[in-house]
Amino acid sequence: MDHMTSSSRTQWISGITLIVILFVLPVFLNEFGRTGEYWIWVSTEMIIMALFAMSLNLILGFGGMVSFGHAAFFGVGAYTVALLTKKADLPLFLALAAAPFTAAITAAIVGWFCVRLLGLYFAILTLAFGQLLYMIVFQWYTFTGGDDGILGIPRPEILGPTNFYWFCLVLFLICFFVMKMIVSSSFGLSIKTIRENMERAKFIGINVRRYQLLNFIIAGAFAGLAGGMLAELNRFAQPDFLHWSKSAEPILASLVGGMYSLAGPAIGSTVLIFLKIFLQQIHPSMVELWAIVLGAAILVVVLFAPSGLVGLYQNIYKKFQS
Amino acid sequence: MTWQLFVFMLINGLCQGMLLFIIASGLSLVFGVLRVINFAHGSLYMIGAFLAYSLSTLLSGESLLGFLILLLVIPPAIAIIGFVLEVTLFRRVYREEHLLQLLLTYALVLILDDSVRVIWGGDPRSVTRPDLLAGSVDVMGMALPSYNVFILVIGPLIAFGMWFLLYRTRTGNVIRAAVSFPDTLGALGVNVSWVMTSTFMLGCWLAGLGGVLTAALSNIDLGIGMEKIIECFAVVVIGGLGSVGGALLGSLIIGTGLTFFQLPFGRWALVFPYALMALVLVIRPWGLFGKPER
Repeated sequence: MDHMTSSSRTQWISGITLIVILFVLPVFLNEFGRTGEYWIWVSTEMIIMALFAMSLNLILGFGGMVSFGHAAFFGVGAYTVALLTKKADLPLFLALAAAPFTAAITAAIVGWFCVRLLGLYFAILTLAFGQLLYMIVFQWYTFTGGDDGILGIPRPEILGPTNFYWFCLVLFLICFFVMKMIVSSSFGLSIKTIRENMERAKFIGINVRRYQLLNFIIAGAFAGLAGGMLAELNRFAQPDFLHWSKSAEPILASLVGGMYSLAGPAIGSTVLIFLKIFLQQIHPSMVELWAIVLGAAILVVVLFAPSGLVGLYQNIYKKFQS
Repeated sequence: MTWQLFVFMLINGLCQGMLLFIIASGLSLVFGVLRVINFAHGSLYMIGAFLAYSLSTLLSGESLLGFLILLLVIPPAIAIIGFVLEVTLFRRVYREEHLLQLLLTYALVLILDDSVRVIWGGDPRSVTRPDLLAGSVDVMGMALPSYNVFILVIGPLIAFGMWFLLYRTRTGNVIRAAVSFPDTLGALGVNVSWVMTSTFMLGCWLAGLGGVLTAALSNIDLGIGMEKIIECFAVVVIGGLGSVGGALLGSLIIGTGLTFFQLPFGRWALVFPYALMALVLVIRPWGLFGKPER
């Protein structure tokens, strides 16, 4: 491949190295008994939340649409897995396959209304729909279990902690490459054009609303898959998965990681979860202060480094090169 | 439904609505002038409520004087917190994109809400009502809690006060001009950033007042900030972002709606604010009283 530049070759090499490390990680962690098992669980959660953050960033970073209701699709995915495995006795793999579809259908309905609005109004309408769905799940005792949620989601025998980690990692990698294809396709370029200049996008014949809706649905589908995976990891689904404060998590992850790159939100999400666990490990009572630490970190990023960690890294990288 | 029950529920609903109005009008006012949706408004309201609780344990809570002191001291204290936040943080993001502004105020929610948890803990608290407002009033053969009647009196007073301030004083002219033509206002020699700071403080004052009034109405806990800010969003969206009159209408619709829907629908009534909010945004995004964006 002679068209490949040296920097993209280093990217490939470091990417493949990272993937290999991620695959070997649980083998290494298993040496540490209970602690290792705990960290495998944490790593699985990191992978799932990274997928959630990346799914939001399709609309946030690439589409330039601020959604405060993205957790609704995450939650719909989680409840799809919970209800299908527990009430319909479907095997996990079928239920997980259904999660992105139910989430996409929900996103299609919500999105159809939302893409009619711009900017702040779009953000508030997504918030309103998200809270509406949250309230429905929260109140509908006979179907969703209300505020108790759904407990005891079955887990197939072969999916022990390590196997489930690998399973999630493979799903994540598939999603990652699908998203990479999406953002570099002509569809992805159109979405970025709309973000940069909506008027111009209209002039060159892009159907702005249809593209935004399609993007919204795709993002919702990935969020639904992530939700389904988290429900299976925790073996429960609860209304909090749909709450607007859950919608803020991937936004914060995207902000911290950097929203103009594909991997940025995944990095941000992982860093944030790691910080939280790290704080907890120093002293259990420190977790009380987690929100204060997180809030202070967000303030610093907003005021001093709005392009996030990836932006910071790129700036430093550029300085070194010149 | 007998007419007595109807009146009873109407008064209760209006009382809830008035309380909501006091808080939401602050949010709306701040949005109108600063163009920032302040997620932290609910947190400031919660801090007001918990400060009222702490101060009331120091004072003898049952005396009317003690309650008056709460009403006179807490809202300005919240306004001072608002002053510090505006000068050190908000000011720096007015020209940034919406997302960064929202994230800044959301970061404040995280910090302030967690601080309340660290300081006051998770137990529900409340402020004892002063003797004078602890009983009930006889209206048409029904016993209405006098505290609810008190809120029903205070609410319209605040609404009238805000109308008077905004439409009958020079300060109000300046504030309204800052909503519509901030640049022209600056060119005319008005210190616009001072107008923004004082409007923000007024908004916080209202949040603090709402906090004090809530603390004596019902139990307060760590969830009230998050809960109230979303209700305020609903109110402000329904009435029209930045419109104080709209906030009054929105609050009364939500307050009475919640009360009346509780009878046939029970807990499902809580869905009502979000459904109405979504409906208004879909049909008339700028709200009932607002104007389409410039």
